[in-house]
Amino acid sequence: MLQHILPTQLLYLSQTKTLAMITHTQPVEDKLVALASIAAELHSVMEVAWGVSLAAKNAKVISAQSGEKGRGFQPITEFIDEIAQQAMNGVNEINHEALQLTRIAVKEHRSIDAYRRFDSVREKNHEAHYIQSMSPAMQRVEQHMLASTKVFKKSLGNLTRLLESMDEYMLSARAIASVSRIVTSNAQEYSDKLKVVADDLDKAAIYIKDKLSDSYTHLNNVNMHRHRHA
Amino acid sequence: MKATKIFDQGHQWFMFGRDPEKPESIIDTNQYMVVAGNRALLMDPGGIEVFAPMLGAILHHAKVDQITDLFASHQDPDIISSLGLWDQALPNAKLHAPWIWEGFIRHFGMNNIQYAAIPDEGSTLSLGSIDFEFIPAHYLHASGNFHVYDRRAKILMSGDVGAALEASEAPLFVEDFDEHIPKMKMFHQRWMPSNRAKNDWIKRVRELDIEYMAPQHGRIFKGDDVKRFLDWFEELEVGVAVQTEVHQTD
Repeated sequence: MLQHILPTQLLYLSQTKTLAMITHTQPVEDKLVALASIAAELHSVMEVAWGVSLAAKNAKVISAQSGEKGRGFQPITEFIDEIAQQAMNGVNEINHEALQLTRIAVKEHRSIDAYRRFDSVREKNHEAHYIQSMSPAMQRVEQHMLASTKVFKKSLGNLTRLLESMDEYMLSARAIASVSRIVTSNAQEYSDKLKVVADDLDKAAIYIKDKLSDSYTHLNNVNMHRHRHA
Repeated sequence: MKATKIFDQGHQWFMFGRDPEKPESIIDTNQYMVVAGNRALLMDPGGIEVFAPMLGAILHHAKVDQITDLFASHQDPDIISSLGLWDQALPNAKLHAPWIWEGFIRHFGMNNIQYAAIPDEGSTLSLGSIDFEFIPAHYLHASGNFHVYDRRAKILMSGDVGAALEASEAPLFVEDFDEHIPKMKMFHQRWMPSNRAKNDWIKRVRELDIEYMAPQHGRIFKGDDVKRFLDWFEELEVGVAVQTEVHQTD
C-alpha cells in the first residue's frame, strides 16, 4: 500500500514517529545525574586501588626481606599490583566513557530541543508563506537526533562492558586474596604482615564490587543500559 | 510576535517584537531583519525564549535559507542566547559580532555557523548592492559593542542605546519625546558605564544621516526625535551606580 502514500504524508509520518521517539526519550537531566553519580562512585575506587597498589609494593619488599620464607608470596605481589593498576586504568576508562556519554546526551538534548521548537513553529504558523522552507532544517535536526541516539547506545554498551571487565578483575582479586592467605601461612614470622596485605586486597575487592554494583543501579534507575549485570 | 515593515524601498527592514505570548519575567526585545534580494540579515535575534515566535514571524517574510547573516551587537543573553537554535536552523550562516566576545558567545552553542569577528574599528557587510556599516559603540553598554547603519535607508540599529523599559504592548514609535524620557532615563544612567564612551559615540553618530534610530528595547525614534535623543543623551550623566555608592559612603 506504500505506493498510495504521498511524499507529504511520508514526511508527516516521519515527523509523528520522531515526536513519539522524543516523548519516550529519557530526560537529559536523569542521564546526566546517573553519569555523574557513576563518576562519583568510581572516584573512591581510584583511591582504594591506589592503596592496594602501595600495599602490593610494600609486600614485595617484605617478601624480599623474608628470603626463602616468603618466596611463594613474591609472584603474588606482582599479581596484586597488576590488579590494582588494572582497576585504576579501568576507572580512567570508565570516567572517559561517562564523559563521552555526557557530551552525547547534551548534544542529543540540544537536537531534541531544537526539533521541539521547530515543530512548534510549524504547528503555529502553518499559514506562513515560507513555512515549507523549514523542512530541510527539521530533517537535518532529525538526522542529528537519530545519529546522537545511535552513538549514545554504542557508548553505553562500551560503558557496560568496562564495568563488567572491572567486576571480573575484582573476582580475580578475591581469588588471589584466598590463595595469598594459604601461601602466607608458610612465611613464619612474616606471615602476619603478608596476611594483612591479602586481607586488604580482599576488602578492597569487596568494596570495589559494591561500588560497581551501585554504578549498575545508577544506570538501571534511568533504564539506560541494555544488559543488566547479574 | 508582531512584525512591522519599517522600510521598503528596494530592500526591506522589519522589526519583530511585542510578543503577547512572551513570559512576563523576560524583558521585551526588538529584533530586526533586513531582506535584500535573496539574502537576509537578522540583527540581535534574541534569546532562547523568543526563538520559536521569532522564526514563525520571519517565515511570513523570508525563507529560512535566505537568512545568510546574523548580527549580535554584544554578548548578552537577550541578544543572542538563541544562537544554539539558529545554529541548527542555519548551518551555513555567518554571525557578525565583536571579536572580543567570540569565546563567550560560543558558549551558547555554535557548531555550524561561522563567527565573523568585527574588529574594534568596525567593518562593512554587503548584502547584494546594500552596504551595512558596523559602527563602534564600545562600552554602550558592553566592552565590545557595535550598531548597524544602513546609509541607503538612513536607519541606525542602535542596540541598547535609546532603549526604554515599558510594557510590551507599547507603541512602536516614540510619539512624544518628553513623555518618553522617564522610560529610558534610568536604563541609560545604569546600563551605560562611561560618559567618555557615550560622548565619543554621540560625536560619531551625529555625522550620520539618520531617519530612524531603532533600539533593541522600547520604541523607534524617527525624524527630529533622533536629534532630540542625541541632545538629551549628551546631557545625561551615566555610570551612576558608582556615584551612588560614593554618596552612600560619604
